[in-house]
Amino acid sequence: MTNPLTEQFSAPLTFNWTLSYRCNFTCSHCYSREEQCDELSTAELKLIVDRLAEHQVPFINFGGGEPLIREDIFVLSDYARQQGLNVSMNSNGWLLDRTAAERIKASGFRSVGISIDSAEARLHDDFRNRPGSFERAVNALDELSAVGVRSTMSAVISRINYQHFHELLDLAREHKVSQVYLHNFKCSGRGFKNRQELDLSPQEWKDFYLEALQVKEETKDLLISFDDPVIASLPGYAEKSLVKGSSCGKLSLHLRPNGDITPCGFIPLVVGNILHDDFEEIWYNSPVLNKMRNKEAKGKCQGCGAYEDCLGGCTARAFATTGDLSEPDPHCWK
Amino acid sequence: MKKLQRNSEIVWRIEKRRQQAVLDRLEAGEESGDEGTVILLISGMMHQLNLLGGMIWNLCDGQRNLDQLVAELQQEFDVDPATLQTDVREFVSDLVERGWLNYDQSTD
Ligand code: SF4
Repeated sequence: MTNPLTEQFSAPLTFNWTLSYRCNFTCSHCYSREEQCDELSTAELKLIVDRLAEHQVPFINFGGGEPLIREDIFVLSDYARQQGLNVSMNSNGWLLDRTAAERIKASGFRSVGISIDSAEARLHDDFRNRPGSFERAVNALDELSAVGVRSTMSAVISRINYQHFHELLDLAREHKVSQVYLHNFKCSGRGFKNRQELDLSPQEWKDFYLEALQVKEETKDLLISFDDPVIASLPGYAEKSLVKGSSCGKLSLHLRPNGDITPCGFIPLVVGNILHDDFEEIWYNSPVLNKMRNKEAKGKCQGCGAYEDCLGGCTARAFATTGDLSEPDPHCWK
Repeated sequence: MKKLQRNSEIVWRIEKRRQQAVLDRLEAGEESGDEGTVILLISGMMHQLNLLGGMIWNLCDGQRNLDQLVAELQQEFDVDPATLQTDVREFVSDLVERGWLNYDQSTD
């Protein structure tokens, strides 16, 4: 009854949707803080929802910028729910008080992710350049839990936290988080500028993943997730993901505030506009998307035994550092 | 007889292009194959249903009981009724066991 995937899907499963690049924070690792883009009206955003529903995209995830900065976010999420879409969001938590949490609940969000970079308040606040942000983020988790919305925690792994991820997991438990995402460091936007200071060396990435995967296996009370395709090259790695390599352009796409589509939030290549272009044409025929789906091994990936599973690692990172989608991921330790 | 209803927690969609490709093959007298024409997303895992499975799934919208479902499929597939009945029964009971389908509490 179940088959391996042999063919491309008819549409992405998820659209990661940046409604606005505006944010109340100025984080050191942010990929989008330097971006500027026109924003659409509520009516136009609703038209986008219609498009996504028409193409049977099941999930949208609001990100940013800070999604709660858009005052019409709940008008939009209510509308998306009515159209049968499943809605979630990632927030820094600053604006997520009880009233917002109740509104989130009423709007039927499937889950809300709160970004927390360190279990140590001072470090998190420093990193996010906003005193008090740790407290507000943790409070947001408690408010979500109080109203019965599933919460997740997102941490971008960097020098400030890679040796302390156990504390992040404990913090998640304390605040009834159901899933922790340990995101790979993307080297885009500010993350690129600050990468000397924040990024780990390939060997450190390897050691981190070996340990974190072990912890994941032993942890039963909390889901731990990674989004780094390069871990598929680790010996004995047996997780089954829905696709090999980066999922961007295969399972997900990203929407910019003006409706432009990019493969993911970290690859600034516009492949079309959801309001003005034919979506099927983009999805099936975009040269950029097809290049990402059919990468060719380059450099050290040529002849690498892991290529079949790893597909050169994170395409966004390769592109940010080399300008070529098919070059090996700079985090690769091989 | 109780009506069959999909578990509302399960996110799913018909993969229209693939479905069309399978239907075209059948039309041309070829084997339909086991290609997934409906995908189900359950706890972060994807499952795929082949043409018959996908059609059954699509019809389990709380409006039909098992016999009605078989009758409807019989119009689509030119196969022996007894075989179809058995196949559908087996498929449905497997999915009910997994909790992906439920029998509605109300009866007709
Ligand atoms: S060499 Fe290329 S394929 Fe091999 S592990 Fe590194 S990134 Fe992956």
